[in-house]
Amino acid sequence: MKNKKYDIIIIGSGFAGIASANILAGKGLSILMIDENFHVGGQLLRKIPQELGINKKYKPDYVKKIGNAFVNNLKRDDIEILNNTSVIGIYDNNEILIEIEKKRVASIHYEVILFTTGARERYLPFKGWTIPGVFSAGMSQVLMKSSGVLPSRDVVVGGSGLFLFSAAYEFLNNGAKVRSVLESTGIADKVKMLPVLLHNFSKIMEGARYLGKIGSSGVPIRFNTRIIEARGNGSLEEIVIGKTDRNGKLITGKEKIIKVGGFAYSYGFVPNIELPNLAGCKISFKKELGGWVVDVNENMETSIPGVFCAGEVTGVGGALKSVNEGETASLSILERFEKNGSIHAKKNKLLKERKHHLNFAKYFNTLYGIRDEEISEIPDETIICRCEDVKMGDIREAVSNGFISPGALKTSVRAGMGNCQGRTCGPIIYNLLGSVSGIEGKNFTLFSNRPPVKPVKISSLINRS
Amino acid sequence: MEDLRINSVERKEKVTIKVNGKDVIAYTGETLLAALIASGYKQLKKSPVLKEKRGGLCGMGVCYECLVTIDGEKNIRACMQDVRAGMEIGIEE
Repeated sequence: MKNKKYDIIIIGSGFAGIASANILAGKGLSILMIDENFHVGGQLLRKIPQELGINKKYKPDYVKKIGNAFVNNLKRDDIEILNNTSVIGIYDNNEILIEIEKKRVASIHYEVILFTTGARERYLPFKGWTIPGVFSAGMSQVLMKSSGVLPSRDVVVGGSGLFLFSAAYEFLNNGAKVRSVLESTGIADKVKMLPVLLHNFSKIMEGARYLGKIGSSGVPIRFNTRIIEARGNGSLEEIVIGKTDRNGKLITGKEKIIKVGGFAYSYGFVPNIELPNLAGCKISFKKELGGWVVDVNENMETSIPGVFCAGEVTGVGGALKSVNEGETASLSILERFEKNGSIHAKKNKLLKERKHHLNFAKYFNTLYGIRDEEISEIPDETIICRCEDVKMGDIREAVSNGFISPGALKTSVRAGMGNCQGRTCGPIIYNLLGSVSGIEGKNFTLFSNRPPVKPVKISSLINRS
Repeated sequence: MEDLRINSVERKEKVTIKVNGKDVIAYTGETLLAALIASGYKQLKKSPVLKEKRGGLCGMGVCYECLVTIDGEKNIRACMQDVRAGMEIGIEE
């Protein structure tokens, strides 16, 4: 690190981060970009473009080509980039504490901070979901695309949302046997909202490509179907699936067993709001944007002046929405530093385009996602907090004893207290408590985030610079 | 043990790592999680209370379910490490 203070710190180098960095660079501002991963590009561009060539059959799609161009054009002379670096604290006086390469911590000051922290996968726990061989659709994608490894030679893909189909497509492309795709919602709901998609032609084409491959491979797609249980001694051997009604309630007597070595699942994405939450930004529940999101105005500025957010963290809507918001945020930041130009016209155009991205986001976040019926049907013996082995029954008991805020629940049963700090179980617990006490109620507060927001090594803390 | 590597993918340098004392083939450029799964190591840790067998869930640094010991250092996320020749991995069996 060259400086102790930067004009701008960008947290996260996914689509929103690199799109904004490209606009901010070369204007005489000092910029630091921080990412927990070893590479720049976020979850969608797992490997830097030079390394993408490892899989000869792998061709980046339209969206990834845009991302790769951003990474290639990154003005590295103007931007300092710290990879393998986590933010572990944010304090008053525009200060953050970071752990660099798991070796040392350092404190840095900023004038403006931009969070482009992205999203992570959403889970709906089921009996046996902790058995090795049950993994997220995202893990399958990462393994196949960046390491060329199949998580299993035969899989069932299940859950809800478009990501299921891209995962199934990737499995088929790489020679795995996909036994079935389970979509917990029905097909009828989707047709109704098709007009929203017309502004998103590239997404229709993408969907058609996936469905074409899945269809021609003879893989059965089962709608209104979800997994009930995963079974296996130490690793997955079989799954039990069941039919549901339109509300997601299981219809008894329609269970079926499938022998399979891998179950890849996905229920869409939840925004990574932990750092903006720690910074004190206002966060609201907006189901149509994927759940708890950071509130931003048209400048992409949060409730705290000088703190900006862009991309999935303001609402789950895909890579192009992230690019749009990253660019909008950086134009607003340039205005703040009085580095004007023809910013106004550019920003108006971006804001117009953003409406289409938000419409698309509303479309799929409304269609997919987890319903209260599905939460209420989770059996008591199902583990919810994997880090601390807290079961659904423990949580239900605590709730019936009056622990109805996430914070109270955490102190009573330890859910959310482990290594992942509630990143996996938090969204499920919010859903559950929301159906008990009303998620939009004034008293509903999220798990509080405190430093260290990620586990940090004591040896790093000793090596403070 | 079955190898879950995708044939059409061109590999980089072939290296040997040790998993609980046993030699295992891996390739640079792979994440440690991928290399372990490729060689059949799906179960990597045990849960703290129930001692259930666990393995990678998110694959991207969020869930902490793929914690292993690397060269004596405990609780490292396998998904966030790249393979290095000679690294010694400990997994809870």
